[in-house]
Amino acid sequence: MISLWHYLAVAAALFGIGLVGFLTRRNLITMFLCAEMMLQAVAINFAAFARFHGNLQGQVFVMFLIAVAACEAGLALALFLMLYRRGKSLDSSDWQTLRELGVPPAIDTQSFPAPAPVEPDPVLSPAGARPALSTEEAARV
Amino acid sequence: MSDPIGLALIILAMPLVAALIAVLLSGTSLRTLANLPLIVACGGGAILAFTLLGKVADASTAQFVSDNITWFAAGHLRVSFTITVDPLSAFMLAMVTFIAMWIAIFSSGYMHGDKGYPRFFILMSLFVFSMCGLVLANNFLLLVAFWEGVGLCSYLLVGYYYSKPSAAAAARKAFLITRIGDTGLILGIFLLWRMGGWHTDLTALFDHIAKNPPDQGMLTTACLLLFCGAVGKSAQFPLYVWLPDAMEGPTPVSALIHAATMVTAGVYLIARCAPLFALCPDAQITIAWIGGISAILAGFLAIGQHDLKRVLAYSTVSQLGYMFLALGTLGAINPVFAVTAAMFHLLTHAFFKALLFLSAGSVMHAMGGVIDMRRFGGLRKRMPITHITFLCGAGALAAIPLLSGFWSKDLIFEALSEASESASPFTAGYYILLTVAFLTAFLTAFYTFRAYFLTFWGPERLPAEAGDHAHESPGVMTVPLMVLSLGALFLGAAVEPFNHLFSGFLERTPSLQLAATLAHSSTIAQHFNWTIAGIGTVLVLAGLGMAFAMYRQGGPEKLPWALEPVFQASESKLYVDDVYEAAIVKPATGLAFLARVFDGFLDGLARLISAIPRLLGQWLRPMQNGLVQFYALSMALGLAVFLSFVLFRVAR
Repeated sequence: MISLWHYLAVAAALFGIGLVGFLTRRNLITMFLCAEMMLQAVAINFAAFARFHGNLQGQVFVMFLIAVAACEAGLALALFLMLYRRGKSLDSSDWQTLRELGVPPAIDTQSFPAPAPVEPDPVLSPAGARPALSTEEAARV
Repeated sequence: MSDPIGLALIILAMPLVAALIAVLLSGTSLRTLANLPLIVACGGGAILAFTLLGKVADASTAQFVSDNITWFAAGHLRVSFTITVDPLSAFMLAMVTFIAMWIAIFSSGYMHGDKGYPRFFILMSLFVFSMCGLVLANNFLLLVAFWEGVGLCSYLLVGYYYSKPSAAAAARKAFLITRIGDTGLILGIFLLWRMGGWHTDLTALFDHIAKNPPDQGMLTTACLLLFCGAVGKSAQFPLYVWLPDAMEGPTPVSALIHAATMVTAGVYLIARCAPLFALCPDAQITIAWIGGISAILAGFLAIGQHDLKRVLAYSTVSQLGYMFLALGTLGAINPVFAVTAAMFHLLTHAFFKALLFLSAGSVMHAMGGVIDMRRFGGLRKRMPITHITFLCGAGALAAIPLLSGFWSKDLIFEALSEASESASPFTAGYYILLTVAFLTAFLTAFYTFRAYFLTFWGPERLPAEAGDHAHESPGVMTVPLMVLSLGALFLGAAVEPFNHLFSGFLERTPSLQLAATLAHSSTIAQHFNWTIAGIGTVLVLAGLGMAFAMYRQGGPEKLPWALEPVFQASESKLYVDDVYEAAIVKPATGLAFLARVFDGFLDGLARLISAIPRLLGQWLRPMQNGLVQFYALSMALGLAVFLSFVLFRVAR
């Protein structure tokens, strides 16, 4: 039997993961996802308690929460897009220029690991033309 | 459209529309045509105003009041936007628009090529608009609104050459000094509003006061406060000092201020409020004394001036003094007669003073902006038309028999002599004032012809600024001069002494009729008093003869040693400006300095208090380091500390 305690444990775990992720990651989108995770942990709590007490208030609240979260996601992603266009980066510490005047900047002591090289996406040939096949594929065909 | 109120509203609206059109023209390449709206508005206004005169003269009731539109209301105060057309306002309207039209035509030549050409005509249009509104207003607060509009436009026009420090100072002086008077006017209006059954409409107020005569002392105070406004606006003693300085504006502005608008507003105010003044003899004699003092003082100050325009400015103060002398007799004799005398002088004065100023402007135009009579002379060959027109104006101003000024001044003498034989308690005062008026007539003739001889007679002398092109002004400037000189010569004789056209027209004004019933005075049979006219003529001829004897050789001025101290006293303006400087301006400057010191102290106190949060902020500022993670961490830690506190201390 799944008791209230189980729900709360899942919510607490989710919240903890979200909090740690929010505090440690610097990618804006990841941070946002972590924040959403914390929000959903709260939503689980609401739903759990609603069921525990046997009324619908908490569930209704969860509905609102999801709606608000959706709006918030739209707004936040739009803002991130704007920030990305300005700074060509999603690193939140790039925006520490918004600090008070006269405070020294925080500088990374460890440099970022170089990103792994990305395979270029396969490109489709124009319709009607025979696709260029790699040697491996050609052998198969 | 054909009813008098509609006509009056059209006349009122035209200068305003002209101003707006001129504003639109000013930004375009048509800016040199900015003079046309004003000329058309004034010309059309003059034609309509003459129609209006005819309608008012023919109508069975002499007063038309517009529909009552509430402007604003609060408690007892209900101010309505009403205008009135009666013989008095119709006459003023016709005069203002007619004179303004010729001044506008003149100034389109005079101001030609000026950098602020459209601005000049915009302001002139607004000036005429304000004056028309002032004349038509049937509500005290509406009147004050237009009154201030006139003051504002005069400020802007006197300070037209605003980059010149003296012009800016003169404009400020004019504005501040008239403001002193305006304070009195507004206080007077509030006092009347309280006494007059909470009415601000002139007709209702007069009726109420006529039916329930208020306390004599209060009414006298109110009248004197109203007069205070008139003194400021009409430049009477002791507030006349702004008018000579107002000569810093362009000459057509001086003509407009001195002839048709602004300074006549004070005279008009008293004439309009005749029913009030008819009730208080104390106020009447005060007006008469102020007028008399201004007349003789300004006449004296005019004889020693070297600036042609300043001579004319002082003569304006002096002539306005005459008008106030006539108005001062308003209850002692029949008010209709007194007001007619004042308004008649106002009319003739408008013509000859506009003429004199425009002639002086024509001289100034030819002399390259020089107006000091010590630096030019003998211009009658070079400027024959200006010479003749100036002579016409000077003759009319000096009241040479049969010219306009003679008839109007004679009416004023007559009013004074009637007052000195009336039942008034102040007959001795009126007698002295009659003497003063005669003396002033002598001075007037002397200084006017001194200016004329110094400018036009003797050997020709030209200032360097005139260059080699000192010549008669173009036709656009001389035609207005000629038209106005016809007025200065014949207008006086044409409308009053033989047919009593003017007095017959004005006496139908209901407010004057009301004043006449209130003053319980008998009508005066209009007759020509040979004694008075004779004394006046002799004095005028004596002044003229003295000027001829002293100045017929033209300049430079050579004074007999006996007269030198007199001229010196006059030239230094009897140190009135210096006295004002020492008695009022210096203490005010000291007070302003003290206020600034105190203000600095208060500022310091405020800064001291604001330093505390700034210090606190200094301490907390490094927290704001711009790292989102740091903020989130502090929030999480703060929350953790708070939660542990709640869990382990509070909830235990």
